[in-house]
Amino acid sequence: MKHFTTMEDKLGLDKFTAFEKSHLKIKPGADPMVVEHKLFVCPAKVYELNDKGEPIVSFENCLECGTCRVAAPEEVDWNYPQGGYGVTFKFG
Amino acid sequence: MADEKFDAIVVGGGPAGLSAAYVMAKAGMQVILIERGEYCGAKNVFGGIFFTNVMKELIPDFLNDAPIERNITKRRFAFLSQDGEFGGDFKFDRFNKDFANNSFTVLRAKFDKWFSEKVEAAGAMIITGAVVDDFIMKDGRIAGVKARMEDGDLYADLVVLADGVNSLLAKKLGFHKELSPDSTIVGVKEILSLPEEKIRDRFQLNGNEGVAYEYFGYAAKGAIGSGFVYTNKDTISVGVGATIKSLLEHKLNPNDVLEHFKNHPAIRPLVRDSEQKEYSAHLIPDGGYKKLSKLYGDNVMVAGDAAGFVNATLFHEGTNLAMETGKLAGETAVESFKKKDYSAEALSLYHTKLKNSFSLRDMKQFKNSSETLDKNPQLFDKYPDMLGDLIAELFTADGEAKWPKERRLMIKLLTSENPFRLLKTAIDMRRVII
Repeated sequence: MKHFTTMEDKLGLDKFTAFEKSHLKIKPGADPMVVEHKLFVCPAKVYELNDKGEPIVSFENCLECGTCRVAAPEEVDWNYPQGGYGVTFKFG
Repeated sequence: MADEKFDAIVVGGGPAGLSAAYVMAKAGMQVILIERGEYCGAKNVFGGIFFTNVMKELIPDFLNDAPIERNITKRRFAFLSQDGEFGGDFKFDRFNKDFANNSFTVLRAKFDKWFSEKVEAAGAMIITGAVVDDFIMKDGRIAGVKARMEDGDLYADLVVLADGVNSLLAKKLGFHKELSPDSTIVGVKEILSLPEEKIRDRFQLNGNEGVAYEYFGYAAKGAIGSGFVYTNKDTISVGVGATIKSLLEHKLNPNDVLEHFKNHPAIRPLVRDSEQKEYSAHLIPDGGYKKLSKLYGDNVMVAGDAAGFVNATLFHEGTNLAMETGKLAGETAVESFKKKDYSAEALSLYHTKLKNSFSLRDMKQFKNSSETLDKNPQLFDKYPDMLGDLIAELFTADGEAKWPKERRLMIKLLTSENPFRLLKTAIDMRRVII
């Protein structure tokens, strides 16, 4: 059996219930390059830059670990998603 | 619920919060526990071993119905080089008897949920699907919490914070500073399903015996970290953890480290033919004794990961420290309840109890471990291959006589690394490991 290796496929294994509003934000005025310099460390690769160099935050894929918060406390505004939403682990 | 006042509010339905709530409810206190997940366990992740020494005290017959995966009878500690492994293991049949060595693999989504049912049966009220955002203050003292839900203002004499490693609430109180990248580990894990029979054969197990394999050295692609393989009933847990600082320095994403680990020649045969079931990530507070949060104040106590109670040495203990600190916070609360005194002075009993408990004593013994590892990155990049090459060469029959070969390898070792640094690393490791 071949294993999934890409992030998209791996996240497809998990159960997510997305809330309408993002619980993650890049703080206003923060250098978008923080995505390339630090936020590559996110285990769900939630943070990406688009073609225009603007940060895209795919909060609906967040595993709620807090890595981004610790890696870039100056740039990331982190909170828990709304109760009952976000990731729900079946194994954990 | 708006005007109802509880004796205690517990924030977080992991092992720390559930233990605190259980002890308080058993003693007749009106307790409400608030969990942000769909159920207790829905947001909880760990490597895989639940150490049950404290569970045994709280619920002596827990083995009757607790969702245990396997009884850990064998533990292996191996050092990975780029293409090999060297290490040692132990396995004892005595671990099969009675409570064994209090080491079981569990899946937290099932286990924490089961524990929460016991806590409810003990009389505590549990609300799930609600995040606690803030405290309610009255005359400068904590009087309750604000939960993100309708009628979410809840009042109580005491708040026990067991809201996990990110504990935004303890931070709000100024009990701890932000987690630092050098002493915070991010762990990622996959659950892989395998037929029970295959797990028994592959890991040489009888019945519900299980193994815990821990991998050091070049386990995290050169970053400061380690890896693991644990057997569950019909799944295995495979994961890696590394300090955030080290991943940043090495420009590594945790999933790439996990992929590298799964494809290492020592690990690949253990995970082959399995089917992926879940991918998860979680932080581990690895700051040790020095980074513990303030533990109590007027009307508040902090327990478990929220306070920083993890023994991330060779022992890899966490769940039992969470349960112990939660239990001791609960016992302290019961004393305060009797005296109707929840002042910091009264709650200092929590600290007194901790000082006499393995939880704080172990934290103290290993107080320098994360700093020591941070200062010895050679253990994770240079040494694994240096030592691996020596062993591989020593055990290659190549016609060279043993005595000159041993002498040559010894000289090779002492020229590839400063002997004093080698010795110092060895001494440092002794303090970190055991």
